[in-house]
Amino acid sequence: MGVAHGEVKAEAPHMGGINEAGCGRGPRIGVYVCHCGLNIAATVDVARVRDAVAGLPGVVVARDNKYTCSEVGQKTIADDIKNLNLDRVVIASCSPRLHERTFRELMARSGLNPFLLEMANIREQCSWVHGHDREAATRKAVALTRAAIARAALLEPLERNVGSVTKSAMVIGGGVAGISAALYLANMGVKTYLVEREPSIGGHMAMLDKTFPTLDCSLCILSPKMVEVRENSNIELLSYTEVRKVEGQVGSFKVELLRKPRYIDEAKCVACGLCAEKCPSKAPDEFNRGYSERKAIYIPFPQAIPASYVIDPNYCRYFTRGGKCRVCEKICERGAVDFSQREEIVTLDVGAIVIATGFEPYDASRKTQYGYGRFPNVITSLDFERIICADGPTHGKLKRPSDWEIPRRIAFIQCVGSRDEHETDGAGKYCSRVCCMITAKQAFMVKEKYPDAEVYVYHTDMRTAGKGFEEFYQRGRSEGIVFVRGKPGEIVENPEDHSLRVVAEDADSGCILDLTFDMVVLAIGLRPPGGLVELAQKLNVSRSADGFLLEGHPKLRPAETSIEGIYLAGCAQFPKDIPDSVAQAGCAAAAAAGVLASDRIEMDPLNPVVDEELCIGCRLCEKLCPYGGIKVEKTDKGFKARVIELACKGCGVCGAACSARAIKMRHYSDEQIYAQTAALLEVG
Amino acid sequence: MDIVITDLDPRFKHEVAKEEGGERVKYCFQCGTCTSGCPVSEIDSKYNPRCIIRMVILGMREQVLRSDFIWLCSTCYTCYERCPQDVRITEVMNALKNMAVREGYIHPAFRAQAELIGSHGRLYEIDEFTEEKREELGLARLSGDIAEVAEIFKITGLAELLSEASQEPVRTASA
Repeated sequence: MGVAHGEVKAEAPHMGGINEAGCGRGPRIGVYVCHCGLNIAATVDVARVRDAVAGLPGVVVARDNKYTCSEVGQKTIADDIKNLNLDRVVIASCSPRLHERTFRELMARSGLNPFLLEMANIREQCSWVHGHDREAATRKAVALTRAAIARAALLEPLERNVGSVTKSAMVIGGGVAGISAALYLANMGVKTYLVEREPSIGGHMAMLDKTFPTLDCSLCILSPKMVEVRENSNIELLSYTEVRKVEGQVGSFKVELLRKPRYIDEAKCVACGLCAEKCPSKAPDEFNRGYSERKAIYIPFPQAIPASYVIDPNYCRYFTRGGKCRVCEKICERGAVDFSQREEIVTLDVGAIVIATGFEPYDASRKTQYGYGRFPNVITSLDFERIICADGPTHGKLKRPSDWEIPRRIAFIQCVGSRDEHETDGAGKYCSRVCCMITAKQAFMVKEKYPDAEVYVYHTDMRTAGKGFEEFYQRGRSEGIVFVRGKPGEIVENPEDHSLRVVAEDADSGCILDLTFDMVVLAIGLRPPGGLVELAQKLNVSRSADGFLLEGHPKLRPAETSIEGIYLAGCAQFPKDIPDSVAQAGCAAAAAAGVLASDRIEMDPLNPVVDEELCIGCRLCEKLCPYGGIKVEKTDKGFKARVIELACKGCGVCGAACSARAIKMRHYSDEQIYAQTAALLEVG
Repeated sequence: MDIVITDLDPRFKHEVAKEEGGERVKYCFQCGTCTSGCPVSEIDSKYNPRCIIRMVILGMREQVLRSDFIWLCSTCYTCYERCPQDVRITEVMNALKNMAVREGYIHPAFRAQAELIGSHGRLYEIDEFTEEKREELGLARLSGDIAEVAEIFKITGLAELLSEASQEPVRTASA
């Protein structure tokens, strides 16, 4: 620290300034090396970088700026473009993700083609990661800047592609985040398709009995929203439907969906329930987490939207016994049962997409020491919601599964599958954020039902940050809930009465607590949902190390993805509670509506160009393209590759692979990359 | 026990983390999973792995290295398997024992064991009864030759450690 760095060397030719000699008729490049305050300058000797590139061929001027992105910094560049007749600009600063747009706009304002800008990332890829070695970091910064200059000399002016905008949106996932996003969009006048893979919308929130910290009945506040989805003329709900394929880009996505057969005509079914009454086949009720049974023809829960029954072919006798039974078909007065339904492909054209695919609860049976799945009275926090819910297996009486008796002593164990380094593939390293408050709520609900119950919460840290959360935690303590700072190593079941022995160290008293409970609730973490990896691939959006989807910027673009026109809402991005999910849904909807409000969209012209003279029609590009963005077609000159601009994402695989060198990547030509690489290797 | 800032060695946790096996000690978030399932803690509360790691993180260098409790770990690896932060507690205890030995603290029980191995090549003396049984079963007599063991003691530096006038660990109250 305390590194001396000069003022902006605006008029100091001897400090690596103007170099008219040696520029001849070639490119006229201005190089600007940024201090970024001390972000770069603390580690990289900025003046040395400037001086090292000042005399290079084509470089007319090289300067260093304290903040290149500031008004002053930008003005210096604009003035140089004008006064020194620059035709290319190299900026060595932060990642282009942050300021490429700023500087491209500056170029355009100054009368230069914005694609004649090249950035060298000497912050994220240099100073921030080599803070311990100033000498090496400076050498690397020189190398990166020289490489950028070498490439800049070969850049070609490009015009941005202009695309039209389809004024509609698709929301993937019909939990509270997806429902909210769809309603926000629809209320802004956007035609919105809400795609849900389950037979009903509602998601996990529909399974909850109450919500923290207000103890609102979950479905009482959710079901009006679900009804609104059904009633809103701007929303088209596609339930029991999955995304198969997505092509195109912001403004014009082409989506292929797979509608699974319900074997019920949604339009005819009035959910009278007569069919289920007569249906002879039973199945475990997944909505009640397997603690009760439903029929093979069923509605997931009474408030389901669409309010239509569905037939489960895994249990229905028509399917399992070869066309027999059909009792439901006979009994349905409205003729809604339709065994002839098949999977159906639906295609949509949308301008923007919101991903709201939610989460998957952690599989508690992976923590074998807690015996979930082996000991009937060990349940998860989600099981608890169903067991205490009026619509659950005990009709709202809190009872324990082994004998359906009322539990008198109940323990909660926190961080099951969260904050866990040990089991890297199944559990999260992160804090799942909601489990502490879920437990505080559930422990309170136990006390509400049975004031004499003894309730212990075993935790590592209670995390109750949120409006009204800490007050709720305090209220729990005042009800007599005992919070133990200590995590039990294991649960041992007494096979006689299915009681559960829990041993834990109470760090606060220093005592080992050896207590026996009637029931133990595991506060399970939130995991990325099954199928998210595949969906992310179809949409070409990035994921973060935790497995959830990566936001555009952790602070400033929390509802955007790495792909323009695709947005995030709710737990698809990271575990969050209901208010945060709804807030992010609003943010995603606003961002999507912003794109849809414009009539045309400009895109970087990064797709490749095929030289038909050189193309031999070998189909290698077609086989390798992950997006179906290049196809070989018969022309009058034989078989030639053709770029499908809508599908191409500009990844460059075809260009790299083309053995005939017929495919040229615009803005990333071989010549540009070779020049860049050669310059990098020159600097030892 | 009152602790003032000058009693604490802030470098200690980094030293332990540099020691083989101690690498992850600083990740401990004191959940107590280790202690709750520890078979040694169950019979002797003096051995409390969570507390020992806490003392390391606080920098209670002398109290840890001179203690007898770091020697009580039975290396059953239960805590190692369960620790949510993957602190690898069993290995941390090994690291602490190695550091203690280097600083001249060897638990008398371990010293006695080492000396037994040094003098007999095994943890117990072979008596005539065993030799006769072996002969009956057609097995060779166990030679009393311990030259190889002495060589191992020498190469590994154990011989030197044992010969040094080592201080015996002192009992330190755990928490």
